Order: sequence, then structure tokens, then C-alpha cells
Amino acid sequence: MILYLLKRLAVLLASTAVAGAVVFAFMAVLPGDPAEIALGVNATPEAVARLRAEFGTDRPPVVQFLDWFGGLLQGDFGTSYVTSSPVGEQIGDRLGVTAVLVAGGMLIALLVAVPVGTFAAVHHRDPLGAAISAASQVGLAVPAFLAGILLVFVFAVRAQALPSGGYVPLAEDPAGWLRGLLLPWLSLGLVQAAVLTRYVRSAVLDVMREDYLRTARAKGRGRMGALWRHGLRNAAVPVVTVLGLQLATLLVGAVVVERVFVIPGLGDLLLNGVAGRDLLLVQGVVMVLVVAVLLINFVVDVCYAALDPRLRGTR
Amino acid sequence: MLKVDRLSVHAGPVELVREVSFGIAPGERVGLIGESGSGKSLTALSLMGLLPEGVTATGTARLEGRDLVGVPERRLKDLRGRRVSMVFQEPMTALNPLMRVGAQVTEVMTLHGVPAARARERAVELLGRVRLPQPAQVARAYPHQLSGGQRQRVMLAIALANEPDLLICDEPTTALDVTVQKQMLELIAEVAPALLFITHDLAVVASVCDRVLVMYGGRVVESGPLREVFARPRHRYTEGLLAASRLTPRGTRLATIAGSVPPAGHFPGGCVFRNRCPHATPACESEPALTGDGHAFACWHPHG
Repeated sequence: MILYLLKRLAVLLASTAVAGAVVFAFMAVLPGDPAEIALGVNATPEAVARLRAEFGTDRPPVVQFLDWFGGLLQGDFGTSYVTSSPVGEQIGDRLGVTAVLVAGGMLIALLVAVPVGTFAAVHHRDPLGAAISAASQVGLAVPAFLAGILLVFVFAVRAQALPSGGYVPLAEDPAGWLRGLLLPWLSLGLVQAAVLTRYVRSAVLDVMREDYLRTARAKGRGRMGALWRHGLRNAAVPVVTVLGLQLATLLVGAVVVERVFVIPGLGDLLLNGVAGRDLLLVQGVVMVLVVAVLLINFVVDVCYAALDPRLRGTR
Repeated sequence: MLKVDRLSVHAGPVELVREVSFGIAPGERVGLIGESGSGKSLTALSLMGLLPEGVTATGTARLEGRDLVGVPERRLKDLRGRRVSMVFQEPMTALNPLMRVGAQVTEVMTLHGVPAARARERAVELLGRVRLPQPAQVARAYPHQLSGGQRQRVMLAIALANEPDLLICDEPTTALDVTVQKQMLELIAEVAPALLFITHDLAVVASVCDRVLVMYGGRVVESGPLREVFARPRHRYTEGLLAASRLTPRGTRLATIAGSVPPAGHFPGGCVFRNRCPHATPACESEPALTGDGHAFACWHPHG
């Protein structure tokens, strides 16, 4: 188990380094020199050269990368060429908001999908089970931002029960914080729940056909007892895979949903960075998102090992 | 002890097993033989109340006076694993891969009221009883760390845990290596209380059972003491089956039964074997009854 963890950790670090290089390379080949942008079209070549030296963008790309990546490892994302404020601080403020948004969405997805998917699997021969399947198919086709707009229409515009957007920090007003996040959570969570429900259903169906479930019943367990004791943990293995992938898409979905609900998260920051041509900021946010995805994959791998002894390597 | 009377199994309109009747006395070892699709596994599963979804059993089966067929799941649950146990064909998939072997043996006892600590102790004893070396270590292992033969022994330990009245084995050695097969058979013969042993392998039946039931097309076509049925088969199907399994001298043709087993629901009316039987006459269009004391058969033109 410890060996497995160390291996996974090494993979995590290596992929972070590679990802950093890729992100940096992409930003480097993009047209647009930060110094030229900062000074405008009428700047003299001397002034541009001076500013370049000040930014450090006159150095060879490899040196710039090592400088930037080395900084990242120490938590230093550099200072924005545009706003002159530290990138790391801006990201730190927003990361928490996005994390809460994504975590809440995922929690809703899980709370809906696990019981509903299991129910649909157990009742796969009944009309109700089939109806759940069909409904989840519809959910699958709806993108999160559309769900968000629909939710706003129903709960904010029609019912006037919840705010249509805006964000109140938790420390200021816990009730307002919750009310503000409810619709974004739902729009992210319900769409993911639809996807996840299908996977939970098929995973549970597969497990229900397993011989060891019949063994459990031969021991004297009822259908549901056998499924509960022997089935769900087995079904969790494929579901965790999907969950990892979904968390990654949820991060991306959050970028858009933050726009719809005017939430100051990472997505909002990223789009501002792009609009303001703040290269270092964009680079930093993208890197944070990439690392988040890699971390999720790492956690998924650890969950596998926790769930399935076959992956731990035999004693 | 076990009395099965006119047990039939249906999948919708299709009759898969037709009016099977037999009994097993305490300590008796009965073999149920036949090709795939003859209905032998379904017969066994209906005694456990474990038929697949959409498949139903009718008729009666009584174990020590307790009904096994047509009884609500709630009552069957209590009998399964306690009074009647089953070992399945596929040892590789029959155990939960995520659970330690010891816990899986313990479970069958705690389910039926044995205190957890006592059950854990007894699980190790049982693993030793099915001759697994270092049972305490096996109890801590996961199924994937054991071989097929070892896993089948674990299944046997689970089946024996509550000292059932009847042990049902469905092709328990088919998936095992020949050498392991022999040890397993000896073990089963030694530990089984009363045994219903399902197989298509005549040699295996011969080494374990006292009495055999031959099934074809969902019916018992012949039954009787093992020696008698094997030495003097009366039903033409049994005769063909025995001929096909006999070793023939080099250069001679292997004996076979003409044709193949029809799919379920497509057996001929009357005698189910008549479309493959070299002795069939128009008389076979009406159904022969299973008749005879001790050695019984259902054939209009019996051998010998």
C-alpha cells in the first residue's frame, strides 16, 4: 500500500512538471508581448526594451520557465505585468470560492445519483426504473449553464425566492452565502447527477449479476441485504472513476456557471485575465486548474486502492 | 429427508424442468447428471430459491418437513446457508473480491445467529477442516490471493459452516485442474451430510455418489443405484451417454449421440429424446412415465 502511494505520488509530481511546461509553452507561443501591450502602440523601442528587462521577458524562454516554475513550487505565482499585484494572492482569494462551488455541486450530484441510480438498477424491470433512465438521459443533454439559466428563471425571476446572482462571503452573512450558492450548486449538481445516475445504475446492475451476490444470497441474505453488504462497495469502483472525470469537468463547468451567477471564482478571474491580456494571471489560473485535476486523479487512484485490495499489490 | 415432488420450472411459457420427483435420505449422496441445458442446475437452484429473475418453480420440495418451493423469500432466507447450502461451479467469481476470506466464512454464521467472536474462531477451524494449509493466514487473505482450488475449498467451508442437512454441489470441480479435482471430490464425499451432486462428468459421479438421476430435456429419464444404472442402463439416452464416455480402442470411432440438445422449449412432445434416439418408433410420441422400483426409467424401448 505504501509503495503504491509513493508510486502514485511520483506520477503526480512528474505530471505536474510536464503540465507546467506545456502551460508555459502555450502561453509563450501566443502572440503579444506583455511589454508592448503595457506601453501601447506609440512606445519607443527603447522603452519597450527597458520594460522587457524589468519584466524579465528578455531572457531565454527556458530560464523564464525555470524561474516561473521554481516560484510555483514555493507558492509564488509571480507579479502581474498588467496590475502589478501578486498573481498568487488573487488566485488564493478566488480558489476558495470555486472549490466550495465545485464541492457543493459534487455533493448534490452524489446525494442524488447514488440512491436514485441504485433504485433504478434494483427496479430495472419496472416502469419507474425505466423512467429514471430516460430522465437521466435528458439531464445528460443539458449543459450546466443552461440548467443555471433555467433555475434562475424559475427560482429567481418567477418565484423570487433566491437571488439570481452575486456572492456574499461566508464570514459576512452565512445565510446570504448559502442563498447565493444554492442555485449555482443546483445547476452544477443536477446535471452531474444525471450523468452519475446512469453510471451508478449500470455499475449496480453489473454487480447484481455477479456470482458473489448469488453466494451472499445462498448464505441467507435477502436480495437487498446482499446488494448492500457485497454489492455497493464493488459498484463503487467504476463509479469512483467517473466521479474523478466528473470533478474535472465540474471545474470547467464552474468557469461558465460563475459567469452566469456573477460569482467571483477562478473562472471569473480567468476570463478577466484573458480579457485584460494578463498572461501571467492566465498562466497561473490554468496551472492551478491543471494541478487540481491531477490531484483529483491522484485521490481517485488512492480511493481505488482503498476500495480494491487487488490493486494494492499482494503481500 | 429431502422429498421433491413434481417440481417444474418455467421461464414464462417455456417449461425448462418438468415434474421432477426424487428423494434424498440422510447421509445419501445423489448424483444429478445430464448435458448442459438438461435442467439439472435449475433443479438445484429452485431448491435454494435462487432461480434467476423471471424463472419460477412449481411443485413441492420438502427438507425435513420444511417447504422450499413457493415459500416467501423471508422464510427461505432462514433456511439458506443453515439447513441447505450450495457450492457453485465457478470458484473464481463466487467470492466477494473486496472482502477477506475469513469475513466471508464468518458472515454465513453471524447471519444465522452465531456470535461474532465464536464465528470468527470457527471460520478458521472450518478452513482447516477443508484442508487449507495455514487456515489462520488464509482467513486474512483476499480471494485473489488464492488459487481456484483453494477458493472452492473456501466455498465448501462456507457451505458447511452451519452444519446443514443437505449440501448441493453444482459442478464444483469442473473449473479445477484434474489433480485438484480429485482432492476436492474426496473432500466433498467425506464432509457432506447428504449430498445432491450435479455434474455432466460420469466419472465424477461414479467416484462420489451412491445413486444417480439422469436428466434430459428437463425430465428425469432414469434413476437408480449408481452401479446398476451404470452397468445396466435402461433408457436409451443413458445408454448413449455411457457409450460416449467409454474409452475406445485407437482407430475406432468415438461413440456419440446423434444430433444435439435442442434449445429450451424445442424438445419434441412425448419422449423428449425421440428425435435423437435410434430406437424411436411412433409409440414414442406419447410420453413414457418414469416407472420401476429402485431402478426406474422412462422409455418405451428400454435397453436390455
